Amino acid sequence: MNNKITELIESSFRDVDVELIEEDRVRVNVKQESLLTLLNFLKENRYSHLALISCVDRIEENFFELIYIVSPYMQQDESYTEREKVNVILKTKLPRENAQIGTAIEIFGAAEPYERELHEMFGIEFIGHPRLTPLFLEREYDIPPLRKDFDTRAYVEEKFGSIPPVED
Amino acid sequence: MDRSKLIKWLKEPMKMSNKYSLHVVYFCTGCGIIEIPPSITARWDAERFGVKPVATPRQANLFLITGYVSLKTLKPIIRTYEQMPEPKYTVSLGSCPIDGGMYWDSYNTINHLDKYIPVDGYIAGCMPRPEAIFAGVTHLWTMIDKGMADGYVKYRENYEQYRSNQEEIYADLGWPPLFGVSNQDEQ
Repeated sequence: MNNKITELIESSFRDVDVELIEEDRVRVNVKQESLLTLLNFLKENRYSHLALISCVDRIEENFFELIYIVSPYMQQDESYTEREKVNVILKTKLPRENAQIGTAIEIFGAAEPYERELHEMFGIEFIGHPRLTPLFLEREYDIPPLRKDFDTRAYVEEKFGSIPPVED
Repeated sequence: MDRSKLIKWLKEPMKMSNKYSLHVVYFCTGCGIIEIPPSITARWDAERFGVKPVATPRQANLFLITGYVSLKTLKPIIRTYEQMPEPKYTVSLGSCPIDGGMYWDSYNTINHLDKYIPVDGYIAGCMPRPEAIFAGVTHLWTMIDKGMADGYVKYRENYEQYRSNQEEIYADLGWPPLFGVSNQDEQ
């Protein structure tokens, strides 16, 4: 069964790089344009659970790596067992300048808070997202704070260090 | 009751009753909350010391801040502190409210809590054990006896400084100054 999903993706998509990295884990490198198509394809093939959207700032290579983890619910199909479950990890690259990608909300509704978080922490623009409003942060930052070029120490010195202690 | 304390009770009944009935509002900001359930339940039993958790800040006179303070939680901390009736005491647990602790260079954690509200005592440690909390409470008793736990008096006196520091963090704090308006009426 492990090779089943690998073969399925490879036979349906041309420009993807599929690798079985562990017994229950498949890594798929996909281009930005075909990401949503692949997510849709996986959803139709029982991958109904979006577990995570995450992002890594590869500042040396000058791109963001977006990571989508989808996994199937096996109870829906009696021919599978939990032991045979294979999670699929989708990785895609975005340029650091003007990072934009289409939203996955229409495919997985659970994508909404993740995309808001990534917009807030990395400044990635999700096209079609209904509300990219602040989620966790209380104040505005010049550079989104989880980008690698955000200098936290200088920021802390400037913002919190400048506040005077209260004296009697 | 301890007979040797009878004179104290007769002389300063307010102070004595304050210090032996510390009603606590716990502000569960960080990892410190994990120490609170054992310290208030049967294993360590905080009510031996008169320490009792209460539901709202309006019934409390001790404010325990357990753990790091992020930008988002500072606002409710100020709100909670201002709602407590006087006399009120603040004790913070762990290293993080003192100077940031392990989050000293985080973009989202304020480093010194005592710039925004007065703090009467710190219990250092990461995290302090329940015994340390009781050591802190008994130390607070001595401080109340000697009149050293006067953070709420300082807050009243230096309110302008505290308020300006709070407004430095939040451009829109969302509520009018606690003191100042009513003082003008009195004058």
